[in-house]
Amino acid sequence: MQFVTENLQILFTGLGLGSIYALVALGFVLIIRATNVVNFAQGDFAMLGGYAMVLFFTGLGWPYWIAFIGALLAMAVFGVLFNYGVYYPLRHRSFLPVLISTLGASIFLQNTVLYVAGPQPKPLDKLLNFDGITLGGVFLDSQYIVILVATVALVFFTFLFFEKTLLGKKLQATSQDKDMARLLGIPVALMIAITFIYSAVLGGIAGVLVGPILFVSIGMGSIIALKAFAATIIGGFGDVKGAIVGGLLLGVIESLAAQHISVPYKDAYAFLALFLFLLFRPQGIFGEKVSEKA
Amino acid sequence: MRRLAGIAAAALAAAWTVCAHAEDTVKIGLVNEATGPNAEAGVYTHNGAKLALAEINAAGGVLGKKLELKLEDNQSTNPGTVLAFSKLFGEGGIVAIIGPIRSTQIQAASPTVAKAGIPTMIGGTDPSLTKVNNRWVFRARPNDSYSSRVIADFGVNTLKKQKWAIIHSTDAFGSGGMNALTAALKSFGVTPVLVQGYTNNSQDFTPVVLAIKKSGADVIGSYMTNSPDVGIFAKQLRQLGVAAEWVGSPSVVTDTAMKLAGPALHGVYGIADFTPDATPESKAYTKLYRDTYKLDPDVYSSWAYDALRVLALAINTARSTDPEAIRKAIVSIKGWKGVEGTYNFDENGDGLRGYNVVKNEAGKVAFIKHIDFKD
Repeated sequence: MQFVTENLQILFTGLGLGSIYALVALGFVLIIRATNVVNFAQGDFAMLGGYAMVLFFTGLGWPYWIAFIGALLAMAVFGVLFNYGVYYPLRHRSFLPVLISTLGASIFLQNTVLYVAGPQPKPLDKLLNFDGITLGGVFLDSQYIVILVATVALVFFTFLFFEKTLLGKKLQATSQDKDMARLLGIPVALMIAITFIYSAVLGGIAGVLVGPILFVSIGMGSIIALKAFAATIIGGFGDVKGAIVGGLLLGVIESLAAQHISVPYKDAYAFLALFLFLLFRPQGIFGEKVSEKA
Repeated sequence: MRRLAGIAAAALAAAWTVCAHAEDTVKIGLVNEATGPNAEAGVYTHNGAKLALAEINAAGGVLGKKLELKLEDNQSTNPGTVLAFSKLFGEGGIVAIIGPIRSTQIQAASPTVAKAGIPTMIGGTDPSLTKVNNRWVFRARPNDSYSSRVIADFGVNTLKKQKWAIIHSTDAFGSGGMNALTAALKSFGVTPVLVQGYTNNSQDFTPVVLAIKKSGADVIGSYMTNSPDVGIFAKQLRQLGVAAEWVGSPSVVTDTAMKLAGPALHGVYGIADFTPDATPESKAYTKLYRDTYKLDPDVYSSWAYDALRVLALAINTARSTDPEAIRKAIVSIKGWKGVEGTYNFDENGDGLRGYNVVKNEAGKVAFIKHIDFKD
């Protein structure tokens, strides 16, 4: 019985962490699809979201939901700035200059926040005002529950948005073939800007959600982003389903392996999984044409 | 073009030397974590050193000259530390250095320091650091062979606990502490029921907490490096219903860790080389730090404050900036009251031999007792 509760406990936190990887991975994937570029500042979107929430909620004392919406609006504005500052001027270049540009943006963002907010990590309140519930010997942290629910909701929303709305379909068309989309009268630059906005907001939500658990710090995004990037490869490079499944899988694999094999090698399992996938199924779980993009 | 650049560089270097001579200060390097994951601690360290600098210069400086602090960022990394040391040594004119507080970084830079032969104050507490054939490192904090003895002594003799779980980071500091604590417990006839390592910046401690639960430990001894790790671990420990006592290395009672963890760290014992209300010296320093920075000082600042004052004292005693003379002056410092305790340097360069035991009482650090060793 103890064995079962222990593993359920591990599974729960693994899924919670996995959801965060999945959310950030989703942001990765949307931008990969729209621009063919890996956005190395994706983790810093989460960091910025976390700091925006700390500023509005803890600093200015706004009510939680107002602060939350404020943080998301701030992230949307930031998405616009990021698009026009980091991506747009290089849009006609190959993917490498854009990639380096996002890397530079990541370093710039981290050091700017360090300068403005100071180096001390900040605590953030949980969304629900109880710590968690114990169910059959398994402790369910209320914030992890929020994270799981929010991830499911966001995935569902993303699916509906892309499959059921005209705007979503235009975005898809842009990501599949820019020239064709342009011929059909779709404003490609605007579509890409919208993708950056959406991806920045997603990253911001991830930051606000994970803040109460990992605390809001300059480096919080880089740790998550590395795992999220591994998740996008495991799931299938540029595949939305893959990002979700890859993220969850990674969270569960590393938690279970940490429990049953050895804790200090926890991070190694995630990357061992990545390594095995690259060896035996380089296209990932749902991917098809990795060779074309590699 | 290249030659021109060469000439320009030479001219610039000459100009620099002239400038330096014109100012005529005694330069002390500070290799500090100004950026990177430990930048929060770096601010405290810099603050502490600046307070000492102002105080020393207000009292007339050293050898009749003003003391100058040359800050070099190590980016919180080992390669960054080696680079920062090399840069300071390469610039020349550096009389002594205040090195990092992280054992692993000092380990990385130790050969560079030994080669340069410049007195270097360190804050890393891995016992081996002053015993690796490096005559030039001097420790302004007690080392972990004492911290572990204090943790073991307090847990076994004061709290009367026998079932120990040791939780440690797998870096140089954490592993060194784990080995020392295991040895110290052995001297009390106690074998830990669990020894569990984790890597820094873990996002989840559930497996660690479950292992503690399973082991039935009634006291936890910890060597954790980073404050956010302490925060996450403390929250999960209490959430999963482990009520064991906890006696930790200084990181559990840092300002940052206590702010992050909140009630999860209440009632936890920590050992601290710096405690605001332990001695008249530490009380005065706390007031000074609060008045200047509007924040409470912690160990990251106090050790640097002491380190710079030890160096100034040694240079003044030696009446010289010659490295050998400074070294001789440092190891002959006995009974000097710093804010961390009373310094009695030995030949290895270790200055302090005891710790304060403190308790987190509802978010405030309360002084419990001071445990000192003679050997």
